[in-house]
Amino acid sequence: MISSSLAIARKDLRLAFAGGQGPVQAVLLGLLLVFIFSLSAAPGERFSAQQAMAIFWLCSSFGVVLIFSLLFRFEEENDTATALLLSPLPVQSLWLGKTLAGLMLLLLCQVFFFPAALVFLGLDPGSNPAGLVLMVLAVDVGLCVLGGLIGAMGHGQGAKDALLTIIVFPLQIPILLGGIRIGVGLMQGTPLGGLADWFGLVMAFDAVFAGAALFLFPHVFRGE
Amino acid sequence: MSSGSILTLRAVSHFFGSRLIFKGVSCELEPGSIMLVAGPNGAGKTTLLKIMAGLTPPRAGTVERKVPDRAMAFMGHQTFVYPALSALGNLEFWNSVYGRGLDDAALFGLLDRVGLKGFALESAGTFSRGMAQRLSLARVLLVEPELLFLDEPSTGLDTASQALLHGELEAARRRGAGIVWISHDLERDLGRADMVLGLGGRGMSYFGPAQGFFPEGA
Repeated sequence: MISSSLAIARKDLRLAFAGGQGPVQAVLLGLLLVFIFSLSAAPGERFSAQQAMAIFWLCSSFGVVLIFSLLFRFEEENDTATALLLSPLPVQSLWLGKTLAGLMLLLLCQVFFFPAALVFLGLDPGSNPAGLVLMVLAVDVGLCVLGGLIGAMGHGQGAKDALLTIIVFPLQIPILLGGIRIGVGLMQGTPLGGLADWFGLVMAFDAVFAGAALFLFPHVFRGE
Repeated sequence: MSSGSILTLRAVSHFFGSRLIFKGVSCELEPGSIMLVAGPNGAGKTTLLKIMAGLTPPRAGTVERKVPDRAMAFMGHQTFVYPALSALGNLEFWNSVYGRGLDDAALFGLLDRVGLKGFALESAGTFSRGMAQRLSLARVLLVEPELLFLDEPSTGLDTASQALLHGELEAARRRGAGIVWISHDLERDLGRADMVLGLGGRGMSYFGPAQGFFPEGA
């Protein structure tokens, strides 16, 4: 299952970057959000750590919707979804492959979001870069696990983007909250041990939705 | 039912919502034979093919396939081609999905066999319908299927491409593959078939040797 998932992820990343596009739409939307929010502060006024972290995760959340809409659109042209379903690969590996590709693309988007938040929102990275990386990875995994499942639900439907938006955002609330609270804690110098509860919430979210996706994906990603 | 069959359908029925598409379809496919599926538009030929391939579960009846998934292939109106990948890139992907482990030389060989070697590194999105369908045929050849499902694969193909397709189908049959084939040109393709499954009147109108089948209007 791992090798088929890697084949799917490799193929999706090649398709995403074919024509030199990549996740340009998600990056531009995120940067635009950061810039627009930065205009809401009066000259000389700083955003609080909580506000800056919330805007960072909001950009990532919107990015997830765009990224998974793109990844599942690849399987609509020429009905390659049918060919994949008829192939010997386990259906769950399709979800895992899309989730891995989505995670790579989201991390790439955040490479742009984070410096933008530092410059325009005055985000303070704190003194625990390893903790920040751990937080980003843990929250991103949850966002992408959910994105891979919901993206499959919208596959082949005309109102796919609306469906993604309506379902994804409410479900993301716990993990976004976790991301914001951990981020604020790290910026204020709280040791990782003091953020264990929030990390626990994020990890639990990752595990619950990964389990749900493994079970539900074959039922939502179908050939008809 | 013969014990040597690689595909057996018993009393298969299907509905779209509450609308009956067909009921009581029973048939079997022997290795090394071609079964043509015939019937008017809307008779449910494509739906039946998807049921046979395991893509759609039947509402009633059973489907038994004695072939592993990795030895089955499907070729239809849709080319199953990723337009943003090159012809070689498409084959590399399906090579890894099917776990065939073919090297680049073998993949180039497949492209050569379908007349696309000179276009191996070109984006499949620039291909004509005929070239894309040739690439789809290369994907099928890569699998070396024991059970092959065809849904009007020659639609939009020129004479040379059709000849190539028919030649490869004959080679697959000689190799022992069982082929289920929906054709829109019965006059042309009936002679290549061993068996015919006729659909019509919301059920199975015929199942037997191709020689005994007389299409409506013929």
